[in-house]
Amino acid sequence: MKSLEKQKRIFIFLSLVIPMALLVGFVVFPAFDLFRMSFTDWDGYSATWNFIRLDNYISMFHNENLWQSLKNNAVYFFGHLLFIPIELMFAVLLTSKLRAAKFYKTMVFMPYIINGVAISYAFSYFFSPINGAFDAILSAVHLEALIHNWLSDPKLVNFVLTAVSLWRFSGYHVILFMAALQSLPQDVQEAAQVDGADSWQLFKYIQIPSIMLMVDFVLFDNIRGALQVFDIPYVMTSGGPGYASSTFTLYTIDTAFKYSNFGLASTMAVAIMVMIVVIYVVQDKIIHGLVLRRDKE
Amino acid sequence: MKKRIAALGLSVMMAAGTIAGCSSGAQEGSNGTTAGQEAAAGSQDGGGQEAPAAPAASEDLEGTLVFAIWDNNLMDYIDANDMVGKFQEVYPNADIEVEKIKDDSEYWNAMKMRTSANQLPDVMFNKPFTLSRFKDYLLDLSDLEAAKNNELASGYAMDGKILGIPMTAGYEYVFYWKDMFKEAGVEVPDTWEELKAAAQTLQDYYGKDNPDFMAIALGAKDEWPDYPYMEFMPALEGGNGQNWNDMAKTDAPFAEGTDIRKAYNKVNDLFTMDVFGKDPLGMGNDQVTTLFAQKQAAILALGDWGLQNIQNGTDDYSELGTFYLPVRDSESDPFRVIVQGDSFMGVTTHSENPELAKAFVEWFYSEAWYPGYINYVSSASSMSNFPKEKDPILAEADALQPDMELVMYDGGGDDFQAIQNDIAFDYKKLGSQMFTDGFDLSAELDSLNTKWAEARTKLGIQ
Repeated sequence: MKSLEKQKRIFIFLSLVIPMALLVGFVVFPAFDLFRMSFTDWDGYSATWNFIRLDNYISMFHNENLWQSLKNNAVYFFGHLLFIPIELMFAVLLTSKLRAAKFYKTMVFMPYIINGVAISYAFSYFFSPINGAFDAILSAVHLEALIHNWLSDPKLVNFVLTAVSLWRFSGYHVILFMAALQSLPQDVQEAAQVDGADSWQLFKYIQIPSIMLMVDFVLFDNIRGALQVFDIPYVMTSGGPGYASSTFTLYTIDTAFKYSNFGLASTMAVAIMVMIVVIYVVQDKIIHGLVLRRDKE
Repeated sequence: MKKRIAALGLSVMMAAGTIAGCSSGAQEGSNGTTAGQEAAAGSQDGGGQEAPAAPAASEDLEGTLVFAIWDNNLMDYIDANDMVGKFQEVYPNADIEVEKIKDDSEYWNAMKMRTSANQLPDVMFNKPFTLSRFKDYLLDLSDLEAAKNNELASGYAMDGKILGIPMTAGYEYVFYWKDMFKEAGVEVPDTWEELKAAAQTLQDYYGKDNPDFMAIALGAKDEWPDYPYMEFMPALEGGNGQNWNDMAKTDAPFAEGTDIRKAYNKVNDLFTMDVFGKDPLGMGNDQVTTLFAQKQAAILALGDWGLQNIQNGTDDYSELGTFYLPVRDSESDPFRVIVQGDSFMGVTTHSENPELAKAFVEWFYSEAWYPGYINYVSSASSMSNFPKEKDPILAEADALQPDMELVMYDGGGDDFQAIQNDIAFDYKKLGSQMFTDGFDLSAELDSLNTKWAEARTKLGIQ
């Protein structure tokens, strides 16, 4: 019995220590190191570096191209945010008894499991001004007037890239919502229906409040994804023309690797961390503090 | 709520940790030195103080070398011709791991990360513009026969040390379709104005029936394909291959009258002429090269390596010709042509078998390997002991300009690159910006002057 107790303690100890050690080694320490590097002028490969106090932070705030990139991130953020209700509707629809629901679920989720770089390449050709499929479709339906320079018009390019991002990631959100909806107890919903609740009331008063944890996660994923979007603009436009479709992460990676300024890139990485937390807290306050409270009242 | 924020913070740190994990752990503070640097110092000191060691017998040299490359043509040739097996016939106790990296951009990223981790491959390649960046991590190859027989290596020596041996001599060409020129009544241009006129005539002639036609093909979406104009024209304008280095010595290198301003004004004039098709920023290099091969474009400026790509895209290239980019203003000016060493093969200080790595470099440039390789690719030989006749298509450019003046291009040294990095000066991106509506080149160059001067002061560059 004593031995069993000892083994139990060892098991608990190891179960705590190993993940904690991995977390400290691969997450906490690099994060602190990132923070330290953000005060240096390290070029990414030299053995030496200097502490330059807040110079990187000052430089970052004065960088117009970085601000432009951040504005471009906002297009992804709001695009995906506006799409969340539609994703929810799709999830409810696919959770209900729908003919060929499995086929639709597969189709919805498929873009997410395809390699992002491959998708970006495919869409580059799709939106190509010469022999591009999208322009050909518009021509086929006699909408030539709508043909534009999809990847080179600074006013359009971010919306086109956001559309590609929506095509790729919406299915993931739909599947998450579906998983949450399917875990709801049937008896509560059936009881509501017996009490006369229609589909909309069921959705608004039973399903949505019950899956708020998942909605929270999707909202957080939206902030993280929008601020860290990289592969789609990198492959489809290289962030161009100029910086018209650059994103915060794209600019950060260019700063680190193209311009050999790891110190400044670390500062930008710290800024992303802070922005994700701040935007999430603000969003959380708005949704839980204002919208849902108003609904309850 | 506090717990949630803490959990959120931890999640974000996990994401950030991925970035930091790639770059941390190598440096040891401002006074620290890495093992790699010590090895470099030791090696370099040793080279200066001791007599050269007698060459080791091939059986004595043993170990495994990592040979990192990005070139698809080289990889194909290595696979098809069993490079490792052939090397092992001479060095039976040696092995080589060839590591292919997707493209040169990825290559530099990987090499930078490996530098900080003291894990550079034994043998690596450099471009003229990266030699300076990696110079502390490359061994002096001056003693090798390969270096002595190379026509360009000594021209890129740093502090008297040859840190890389160029595998090819790189020339830049303008590819064109002779039959299309003939039909449109266009002659091969000899000056910049003639190039503009030729492009306009071609666009007018073929563009009236084909709205997709491009007189000049340029995959500006990728940004880098504008390098024949944006990278080389400042050097060609004044015949100064050291143009980037000279710019680092002045506070206003983009001022009126400077080579770079004159060159970029010319480029801007050309790029805003509507001779690059309906959407030059909407397509990348692969797309426009394919379209050029299918005669949807009449002109394409690329390096000699581009010939293979064009030939891969068509069965009939009998009408394909080349000329050199005519940057000069009038026929009385010298006709300048860029030449640069390309793919500088070097041995790194991180190599555990530097003698074997040097032996590999020597073998690579010997009769046993180099002649077969250089004849396989379209690029020119850089070795005086293995001259190569140019491909007839590329030789046409030489025939058109028998009195050309060669300009040996330097990609820019430490000072230039420090300023370039500090102000994020990207001439290839600048070129693609010229295609955007409302772009003001003059204002952009004035702004660059201001930033340049500030960077020089900040970095203490005289």
